[in-house]
Amino acid sequence: MQPRRRAPAARWFALAALVLIAAGCTPQSVTEQGRAAYSLYNLFMYIAAVVFVVVSGLVVWSVIRYRRRDDELPTQTHGNNRLELTWTLIPTVIVLVLFVFTMQAQNKELDQSGKADVNITVTAFQWSWRFTYEGTGAEVLGSPGQVPEMVVPVGQTIRIKLISADVVHSFYVPQTLFKRQAIPGTDNFFDLTFEKTGLFHGQCTQFCGLQHADMVYRVRVVTQGEYQSWLAAATRRGAAGQPGT
Amino acid sequence: MATTELPLPALPEAHHEEPSGGIVDYLTTVDHKKIGLLYIFTAFAVFLAGGLLALLVRWELATPGLQVMGENTYNQVFTMHGTLMIFLFAAQVTTGLGNYLVPLQIGAADVAFPRANAMSYWLYLFGVLIVVSSFFVAGGPAAVAWTAYAPLSTSEFFQGTGMDLWIIGLAVVGVAGILGAVNLVTTIFRMRMPGMTMFRMPLFTWGVLVNQLLILFAFPPLTVVFALLFLERNFGAEFFDPTAGGSPLLYQHIFWFFGHPEVYIIILPIFGIISEVIPVFSRKPLFGYRAMVFAFFGIAALSFGVWAHHMFATGLVYLPYFSIMSLLIGVPTGIKVFNWIGTMWRGSITLSTAMLMALGFIVVFLIGGITGIFLASPPIDFAVNDTYYVVAHFHYIMVGGLLYGMFAGFYFWFPKFTGRRLSERLGRWHFFTFFIGFNMTFFFQFLVGLDGMPRRIADYDIERWTTANVLSTIGAFLTAVSVLIFLWNFFVSIRRGQPAGDDPWEGNSLEWVTSSPPPSHNFHHLPEVHSERPAFDHRHRDNPAFAAAHTDPERNQDRG
Repeated sequence: MQPRRRAPAARWFALAALVLIAAGCTPQSVTEQGRAAYSLYNLFMYIAAVVFVVVSGLVVWSVIRYRRRDDELPTQTHGNNRLELTWTLIPTVIVLVLFVFTMQAQNKELDQSGKADVNITVTAFQWSWRFTYEGTGAEVLGSPGQVPEMVVPVGQTIRIKLISADVVHSFYVPQTLFKRQAIPGTDNFFDLTFEKTGLFHGQCTQFCGLQHADMVYRVRVVTQGEYQSWLAAATRRGAAGQPGT
Repeated sequence: MATTELPLPALPEAHHEEPSGGIVDYLTTVDHKKIGLLYIFTAFAVFLAGGLLALLVRWELATPGLQVMGENTYNQVFTMHGTLMIFLFAAQVTTGLGNYLVPLQIGAADVAFPRANAMSYWLYLFGVLIVVSSFFVAGGPAAVAWTAYAPLSTSEFFQGTGMDLWIIGLAVVGVAGILGAVNLVTTIFRMRMPGMTMFRMPLFTWGVLVNQLLILFAFPPLTVVFALLFLERNFGAEFFDPTAGGSPLLYQHIFWFFGHPEVYIIILPIFGIISEVIPVFSRKPLFGYRAMVFAFFGIAALSFGVWAHHMFATGLVYLPYFSIMSLLIGVPTGIKVFNWIGTMWRGSITLSTAMLMALGFIVVFLIGGITGIFLASPPIDFAVNDTYYVVAHFHYIMVGGLLYGMFAGFYFWFPKFTGRRLSERLGRWHFFTFFIGFNMTFFFQFLVGLDGMPRRIADYDIERWTTANVLSTIGAFLTAVSVLIFLWNFFVSIRRGQPAGDDPWEGNSLEWVTSSPPPSHNFHHLPEVHSERPAFDHRHRDNPAFAAAHTDPERNQDRG
């Protein structure tokens, strides 16, 4: 009997371990704004892991310790006001604390009080993207077969104006830990300040019809100098419909 | 303790003849038990169809590239998977259990409106058939996701009869739900036997009551949004067209005003089932009965103030309000989980299949609930909304919560429905394959979602997502095997299962004092009701230690 009773306990611990592994699986944010979300996620994960281990531990313990041994009825207790009050108050306090940290992170992440260095209008359409660099004449237009690239300078505040030409889409670069819906008839603004150079995958996350899966783009974060020369070339090309190179 | 048996309510003479149980009988029945079974069988058939579609989705997604079907077919398949599971299975299978069990649990001979009850079932069936018929029209079924966001679902962007059949069928099912809710709510308020006060009702009946009240408030907005969409598609109304003063956001608001309570519509009766199964197999009364009832109402009330957490990523909703309301739902839900543990504490626990399913429920629901707390926080939601993280989260609630609870209920009440037990040996196989398969399917989706894989995509070209997707697909097929084991168990046990007797588990509520299956008028004799455990009191009527005076939550004694 002993090994059979141990089996579920081992399973719960394996699960708990997997939950902890999940903590390490959020990508580090590559934007200043996303850093707040990253540390908030980790805070949630630590508390969640403790709650999961405690609660599932209590379940496993009860099952092992209080399994039926004989026909005698156990004491018929109906409740305990003090205990019940305790496990009402503790979760309340936990969620209130989480709420306070949530608001702090959210205010940092959504702050747009700074001056924008680069203004880009992103137009989502079925099924690709157009990136218009305001005040420069540069534009990048993609199509489902041709992945467009949004080129931006590192360390500068990029203010995105997100619009949709047809149905609801969503702008998402996983490594920014941020997304925003593109809703027809609405201008949505947000800032991204990339902290390191590189090429990042982006994709529409709001189901938008037949070729939703093909609505992919890339963000290329380059140095200020590289950005200026790219911009000059792109401005000369105008709306040539070519991905940034 | 007095053991006088109460006179039964007067019944029309025709009810005393036991009907044949044949096809004509089921087609014309107004017996709540048969209608309950019709609901359960129909919903389960829908579940099997929705499950097949899920396997197609998993098969396609296992590796990058389009191997099994094209994008259009994929979009139809996942749309209909969600439609069948959420709209046509989840709420109706528990309505079926409620239909069968609620009158028995409150000591009534039938529901308040037996004919309206039958009509509600038949409307549901025809609604299902209308939705399913969209597979056979030109252009095929809807391919706009089960949420059918406008303007994608308007005629400008999605033509075809399939979409209109989808709207009509679901609207009919919605009306069936409202009608059924009127009936069940009235039954619970008006048909309880003498002595069965509200605070002596079994928790499953409470769960059904609150669930049906939620239906009364949440289904009308659903009907409204479908009516608006239908008018927009067919008569040029412009509710969702921004160029004509309409708003795409309006659709999301009305849809989720229904959509979030729908989650609790699905899960509250399941909480009820768990609250029946755990006390019986722990041989103790439910810990904190009143707190459990208040938690139902707490969840129900909060559920109408959280809808826009589905819309954080729109950037157009007031984040702090919807965040704190969503976080707070964790409190009454936590109370439930702790009270279940309190019930098992110092109990005498038997690990029957029903109990295993209930324990599995607690663990997977815990993961679903905890990840729900993450999603209530806008900065985290911005990162993982519309990725596989959300898919994993709500499948931990829906598959984890609903299916574990449903199977717990099936193993628990199958003896009452049929007079025979399901095989416990096959039940164990069912549980363990399901537990492993389910966690394999959905746990890895958390990881790939955190890594940025969007939901509802037919294809992906990022190689590092493949491992999680392959494991998830294997898990899905293992889950399918577990359902086959259950079906095998069902077909074997219904013919050759061990006879169960009236009360195989030493149950607490009134359905266990009548025969298995119960007669058409439910009871030949009813015991007096002095507590929330009339069957327990009846069984121990000669033992003064268990006299109901000590155990009645109405008197609220014996608490620490």
